[in-house]
Amino acid sequence: MNQRYFREWTVAGAFGLLMLSLLIFAPHFFQGQPLLSRVTSQMPALLAAIGITLVIVSRQIDISVGAQFSLCAVIAGLTASAGLPLGVAIGAAVGAGALMGALNGWLVAYLGLPSIVVTLATMVTWQEALRLWQQGRLIGLPDGVQWFGLGQASGQMLVIGFTAGVLIFSAWGMRNLAAGRFVYATGTDAEAARLAGIDPKRTTFGVFVLMGVLAGLAAVLNLVQSAQIQPNSGDGLELKIIAAAVVGGVAIQGGRGTLWGVLPGMLLLANVNPALTHFHQPPYWEKAIQGMVILLAVVADGLRTRKSSN
Amino acid sequence: MKRPLFLLAGVLSAVLLGACSKSGESGSDGKLTVALLPKSKGNQYFVTCEKGARKAADELGVELLFDGPTNTDPAKQNEIVENWISLGVDVICAACENKDGISTALRKAQDAGIKVVTYDADAQPDARSFFVNQATAKGIGDTLMDTAAELTGGSGEFAVISATLTAANQNEWIKYIKARLEEKYPDMKLVDVKPCDDQKDKAQQETTNLLSAYPNLKAVVAICSPGVPGAAEAVKQAGKAGQVKVLGLGLPSENRAYVKEGVTQAVILWKVEDLGYLTVMAGAALAEGKLAPGATEFEAGKLGTLKIEGDNILLGTPFVFTKENIDEFDF
Repeated sequence: MNQRYFREWTVAGAFGLLMLSLLIFAPHFFQGQPLLSRVTSQMPALLAAIGITLVIVSRQIDISVGAQFSLCAVIAGLTASAGLPLGVAIGAAVGAGALMGALNGWLVAYLGLPSIVVTLATMVTWQEALRLWQQGRLIGLPDGVQWFGLGQASGQMLVIGFTAGVLIFSAWGMRNLAAGRFVYATGTDAEAARLAGIDPKRTTFGVFVLMGVLAGLAAVLNLVQSAQIQPNSGDGLELKIIAAAVVGGVAIQGGRGTLWGVLPGMLLLANVNPALTHFHQPPYWEKAIQGMVILLAVVADGLRTRKSSN
Repeated sequence: MKRPLFLLAGVLSAVLLGACSKSGESGSDGKLTVALLPKSKGNQYFVTCEKGARKAADELGVELLFDGPTNTDPAKQNEIVENWISLGVDVICAACENKDGISTALRKAQDAGIKVVTYDADAQPDARSFFVNQATAKGIGDTLMDTAAELTGGSGEFAVISATLTAANQNEWIKYIKARLEEKYPDMKLVDVKPCDDQKDKAQQETTNLLSAYPNLKAVVAICSPGVPGAAEAVKQAGKAGQVKVLGLGLPSENRAYVKEGVTQAVILWKVEDLGYLTVMAGAALAEGKLAPGATEFEAGKLGTLKIEGDNILLGTPFVFTKENIDEFDF
């Protein structure tokens, strides 16, 4: 076991153990169609988690992801229900995401404002604007939007396949593309990165735009999984994915972390609740267990930093 | 150039106000003026309320004013009530967005001799004479449980999707569901209660989990409105439409597609139009002295004789929307 990827392996191991215990004590968990629906429903959050990983590695944070996701979903839903083709609706959602990301990125990178404050402000702005605009009513989607008009089985495969593709490409790109290395360099030490000829501002800006684009795509992948969209569909998403990144070994101080840790981190946290249901346990435990997992991860990080600094 | 325009506007509004107060005076000639305040006037739910209210107003020959905030806005509600006080209407019927906020304005209306009735959402008890209660917790709990039993033939496992584990009204309904279950349906079993945080997508995921965790599940009962379409989508995706029944509290419009496909069997809600109808009936009767505090029954036109519990006029048991009747309702 590689010491460097210790966290990745332990989280993957914990997820493996959870699955194994489900296999032994609640084999119904692996029953065909519910399993496929469950996996598909976890894909949008995974896509957004890729974005937040990049943001955190570059030593920033974006808590407006959930609000971006909701707004993109509503824009896509209204575009589609206005009778425009699905491609236009997808474009509108991704475009809106990119714009919202660009606003965050510009304020953080070029005005030098702290990202927690900037994204808190944009989060509240988008959320309240949505509340005023939509009043919480469901938007019915026209035929041909659900599963991209492909039918359930193919649609689910497309959602899972697309997310897997983005994940593999991003994981490879973070390691092997110059842009990916720039993100690590900016997050480790922006000044050193600048001296080495990297433009940290441009990198930071780019990371926020990418986050917005991924939030838009995630909203689309969520939208196609039912016949209606609710304007609060992204509520709580930011906490879910930040937690997944932290558990998956992404250092909140920036500069360290891989998507191969975030993937099992995400799967582990997302399956606590389904596992409780399958063990026939009351739902009160869900948040407590998730909190414990996060705490364990943070404590492990703290111990490791102390050891390496001694 | 601007000054004369202002003057003109001032004169015009004075004329309009005069005209309005005149119509208020004409109310004292025998024609009552009943003012109906919705939480927001664009909302289909309250538009439907107004429809029923108009019917009652036509039957009784009273004048009906309908006005409210465009979007839910407690401050705007107060403003409208203040306007109605200066207009001198006879009755104000309010659906309150903010219980404490509006009570002051309603008390002021009462002091000015205006009769006040609340509907849909109550104010503080001393700020109105009666609350037209669309459904009691027991009524909702009983109807949900009875409908679930009817759909499953009175036996088997079922689960509940609620909004949150802490919402008081939700827990109250669950309490009555359990009480009814114990009292009448010994062969049914409530296996799980899952919160969906008022999110449709979460309700869908929770239902997907329930379907594989409890393979013998016969019904899913959603007691918050986003939960019903969420549960339906999960059952549909699992290919268990019809086999696992879906029912719950919600708006017919949000569930029509699933009801028609045969995924959702029953959507439960009061008849919103009747709520508007009853509210105006009660308001008018109060102003005419036909209804006074302490009454235990109320003769409400086409709705027949309705019960009064304390100062709550009860609309009766909730209505069950099914495949057969859902097209008759557009809210």
